[in-house]
Amino acid sequence: MRTVRGKRMAAIGVTGAVALFVAACGEAPDSANEGGDAVAKDFKACMVTDTGGVEDRSFNASAWQGMNAAVEAEPAVEVHVKESGSEADYETNLTGFINEGCDLIVAVGGLMGEALTTVAADYPDQRFAIVDAYLPDSPNVFSMEFNTAQSSFLAGYLAAGHSKTGKVATYGGLKIPPVTIFMDGFAEGVAYYNETKDADVEVLGWNPETQNGSFADSFEDSGKGKSLTENFVSQGADIIFPVAGKTGMGTPTVTQGDDALDSIWVDLDGCESAAEYCEEFLTTSEKNIPDAVSEAILAARDGGPTDGHTVGTLENGGVSLSTLREDIDPELAAEIETVKEAIISGDIEIKSEVQPVAS
Amino acid sequence: MTTIDVAESAESTALHGFWTRSRKVGTVLAVLGIAVFLIGLTMTAGAEASVRFNLTLPEAAAAFPAKPVVLTLGAVAVLLGALLLTGRVHLPFGLTVGVAVAAVVLALLIWAIARPGNTLQIDTVLKGTMLLALPLIFGSLSGVLCERSGIINVGIEGQFLAGAFTGALAGTVTGSPWVGILAATVAGALVTFVLAALAIRYVVDQVVLGVVLNLLVLGLTGFLFDRIMKDNESATNLAMRVPEWQIPILSDIPAIGPALFGQNVFVYLALVLVALVYVMLFHTRWGLRTRAVGEHPVAADTVGIKVNSLRFRNVLIAGLVSGLGGAFLTIGEALPFSENMTDGKGFIALAVLIVGRWNPIGGLLGALLFGFAMQIEQFLSSVPGGSPVPSEFLAMLPYLVTIVAVAGLIGRVRAPAADGKPYTKA
Repeated sequence: MRTVRGKRMAAIGVTGAVALFVAACGEAPDSANEGGDAVAKDFKACMVTDTGGVEDRSFNASAWQGMNAAVEAEPAVEVHVKESGSEADYETNLTGFINEGCDLIVAVGGLMGEALTTVAADYPDQRFAIVDAYLPDSPNVFSMEFNTAQSSFLAGYLAAGHSKTGKVATYGGLKIPPVTIFMDGFAEGVAYYNETKDADVEVLGWNPETQNGSFADSFEDSGKGKSLTENFVSQGADIIFPVAGKTGMGTPTVTQGDDALDSIWVDLDGCESAAEYCEEFLTTSEKNIPDAVSEAILAARDGGPTDGHTVGTLENGGVSLSTLREDIDPELAAEIETVKEAIISGDIEIKSEVQPVAS
Repeated sequence: MTTIDVAESAESTALHGFWTRSRKVGTVLAVLGIAVFLIGLTMTAGAEASVRFNLTLPEAAAAFPAKPVVLTLGAVAVLLGALLLTGRVHLPFGLTVGVAVAAVVLALLIWAIARPGNTLQIDTVLKGTMLLALPLIFGSLSGVLCERSGIINVGIEGQFLAGAFTGALAGTVTGSPWVGILAATVAGALVTFVLAALAIRYVVDQVVLGVVLNLLVLGLTGFLFDRIMKDNESATNLAMRVPEWQIPILSDIPAIGPALFGQNVFVYLALVLVALVYVMLFHTRWGLRTRAVGEHPVAADTVGIKVNSLRFRNVLIAGLVSGLGGAFLTIGEALPFSENMTDGKGFIALAVLIVGRWNPIGGLLGALLFGFAMQIEQFLSSVPGGSPVPSEFLAMLPYLVTIVAVAGLIGRVRAPAADGKPYTKA
């Protein structure tokens, strides 16, 4: 029995060690700029992802793109990333980076707001930045928000104009403001199209009045995105707008099987982030996280304000509609330009209550 | 297999006093029925529910007045509940509860769609049910094979992930989804090989081991994804497709046709495997030995069965099955691999295994029930005008249904007696 127990302990030890090793490796890539240039690094920018991970092809991926853009613009910046496996990792990852001596820690995702408020209060001298939240009470947090209702309004107008069946659909990953703002804008865009064209296009999956709709409750389960999309198609929808990170990948998989079906992507231009499905996307309701993140890093390096607040809009290019697919009716494309101007000038007022307000 | 005779224990007042299980369940059903009846009364008299076999008979849409149907179904549930409560009439317990629960669910469904513009797309709902249930079927089968022979397999989630990753990688590199499927089963078996080796040879606690293996595979696939796939997706991580096989004539049957006979190869594989494992487990020598090893390994050893080598072999076979479930998540769904794409399905499969009482057919039914609940949730949130029920409540639906099923229909379950207990010769 003694030998068995000894072996058992050894086995547990080995398993544990292997698990730890792999888990540690799993957090790679720790640095995107290993080796190569010989520039001395003087600014360490660190990013903590939301649970979607760096490779979610939308939200976190675009923040990471921004980190790397900062390195390109200023080679003296070095960047690191930690992925959050669950919400319990937020604080651990944030404080972990403090211990590693990061000059600026970028938290990606409004869900991290609460954890960051706590950590920022504990370390008042540490510079932080957060994407998709505004923390006015934390003097050491730089907030970046995006009024994606504006770009999604255009996407909704486009979908309504392009739909043949008169039904378009949207679904979200989780019912949180950074997600529902897209859905609000989309639904309002469709409503505006109906109003101006005297049309009757229906939106499935989201009701802006009751704030009730269709959610996958996951940003990772692309299988669920697929079955949700199939349900929408069975209800007659021909353009589907997923706001759900990796879960949304289920949508172009379905639309690929039928030429009459199309999709609209979010956050990062779908033709780059999910290039194999480029033909499925009419356009992307882009949230220009990369530029905002890279500018925040460079500003922090130059000793800019620690508690800044930026809101990306159609006007300042913080949100936008990516290049429309070639087969879009040029007349419709021109109308979208007009609508865009009207939003910028304030002639069209978007009602969504979750829109960020510049301070 | 020794099961508890539910009907008998449910009615034996000597054991439980007045509140036998049958009375308790009867009360719950009656209350549910009254609730449905009240909901029915609030409906407008002219409301119509329309249904359509959207894939098989797309032209023929039928509409029927919803209010009387909902009221009738509510009354049926109340009646059955009352009969169980009084205990006067002897009804088959399981069947009665099943019918009453089905009446309640159907009534709520009809209530939810009885609005202009809403149509219940029966074919899509049932086809989707099958697809959502599929990973759970593979997972619970894998669990049956392990636990019937006395090894707890908490690592189904990890085997899924390993299968999904390897399937996508091998399939894309070779250009053949079939090679991908094969590689996925091998990957699943590799994970269970570690489980078997550590659990049987080194007598490590099996629950701890399973949890650690899940984390190990999650980290490993995440790491390999970063290193191999991320920068070169077109060569390593494409969406592979297996063809849908439409079985002539059978696939045109309304409702069940598209769900059972118009699917891709994974559905047929799953159904064949369920039947195969059931027959093998209860009607062959291997099955008898497996169950003996899982119930009473000492006795099995006494009559000359090699306990540990049989366990080892069964755990490896289970790995092949859960690897197949992993292949479904990428190749079967025509999706590229992404990190943590299983999203807890392996754990739900574990629950399905228990709901199905460690029986392949029970697992199949449990998985279908769960799949149906998820499908209804998705269906209701996709109808024009939106769901009449808040989405947060809808998201609870699959779990709620499971609880009702476990409490009302399944009753007490008993795991194989030697489940999780390592066997070492004294």
